[in-house]
Amino acid sequence: MVDEKELRDVVKKTISRDDVKYVVGYEKGTYGFQATPCFAYKPEDAEKFIFSPLCVHNLTVFPMLEEKPPLRKGEEPDTRKIGVVVKGCDSRAIVQILQEKGLERDKVVIIGIPCSGVIDPKKIEAKFPGHIKKVEVNDEDDKFAVTVDGKTQKIPKDELMPEKCKTCEYPNPVLYDILIGKEIKSKKKEDYKKVNAFEKKSMKEKWDYWEKQFEKCIRCYACRNACPLCYCKECMVDQLNPQWVRRSVNLSENTAWNLLRAFHLAGRCIGCEQCERACPMGIPLMKLNKKIEKEIKEMFEYEAGISAEEKPLLAMFKPDDPEEFIL
Amino acid sequence: MKEKFEPNIIGFLCNWCSYAGADLAGTSRIQYPPNLKAIRVMCSGRVNPIFVINALQQGADGVLIGGCHPGDCHYERGNYLARRRMAVLKKLLEHTGIDPNRVRMTWVSAAEGNKFAEVVKEVTEDIRKLGPMQHFKRENKW
Repeated sequence: MVDEKELRDVVKKTISRDDVKYVVGYEKGTYGFQATPCFAYKPEDAEKFIFSPLCVHNLTVFPMLEEKPPLRKGEEPDTRKIGVVVKGCDSRAIVQILQEKGLERDKVVIIGIPCSGVIDPKKIEAKFPGHIKKVEVNDEDDKFAVTVDGKTQKIPKDELMPEKCKTCEYPNPVLYDILIGKEIKSKKKEDYKKVNAFEKKSMKEKWDYWEKQFEKCIRCYACRNACPLCYCKECMVDQLNPQWVRRSVNLSENTAWNLLRAFHLAGRCIGCEQCERACPMGIPLMKLNKKIEKEIKEMFEYEAGISAEEKPLLAMFKPDDPEEFIL
Repeated sequence: MKEKFEPNIIGFLCNWCSYAGADLAGTSRIQYPPNLKAIRVMCSGRVNPIFVINALQQGADGVLIGGCHPGDCHYERGNYLARRRMAVLKKLLEHTGIDPNRVRMTWVSAAEGNKFAEVVKEVTEDIRKLGPMQHFKRENKW
């Protein structure tokens, strides 16, 4: 469990620096099982900061959402840094962005938190339906202690954790400026069980499954907006000339959008599950992302978000890449 | 009367090798199926997966991408990059239940008119067996 006092002190120290614009972290949500992103512009804002197993979000999306309006005459550009509180998985997103040169290293202050697993909001809401009052959730070794209406229940972690935490290989931040607490050890291994099980289905079964899923899509692009790695200035679905994907919501366009979204994250997706959590229609987008992740690991021995010095996967090649599919 | 299915294949051929190879097949009067509609691109590395998915949406039953042999690319590395991209795209299509054989890739040099004809024959036969692409064809209802 992370010492929140230490976190607040670090945030206070960071925001007191002249070269930091703001720090983004987590605060208690207004109701139920929620933690929300929170911004500290002044040292006293740091008091709001928390870290509990409810902090699932990937906050690395915020430095990328930063708006850069055109400067007025005589105005100096704001070159101050942005502080981000990251867990192990989120830090990989930052590494990936740095690798693609979407951000400069000296523009972010990374406050790393070793994380032993968080709670999937959908799973806990299914367990305690209709709770809108504040609840306490604590991390106790292999159990989550959930306090609802004054009663504490201990629930095994496996029941509440999202898929990403069950097979998390990087509980400690890969890259950080300040680490809170001590690094933890993890023996979990990514085994792609679900992907392998899905692969065994026949072509027809696979398409029947995805047809149903893609038909649900309402094309709100929440998956794109929540994703820390979808930061193109103009997304290909917003392009009008040429217009690759039409705006109409039907199976054809939805399939094109979902396939292209998954492809654009090939070799970049770090598996934070932000897209799936944001999806209002419950489309299992991670199934596509995980499949690509697995194939890339097998074919090119590459993993996204590990080293900022490496070149992006699809921007480099090896002469002996697999080519058994070529005629 | 039901018409016999004739596959509709889009070919993205690289200007320097495959397109010249197709040209050679034509000037040498080698017979090959007329199902392939060739689109000239400057390099196989120019082929964005968005082109492939868009072609499948607009009624293509298959897509063939032709590039130079590894090491022969006019731009040195375009075909290598295309190879990686298509390898990933094919795996993704397979996972969603679309036969990955609808997207084919080939290396044809400017001197291989015969090979080009063979490849087109093979791809046409493969896609004839797969049948029309019905998964996510775009419906124009206006």
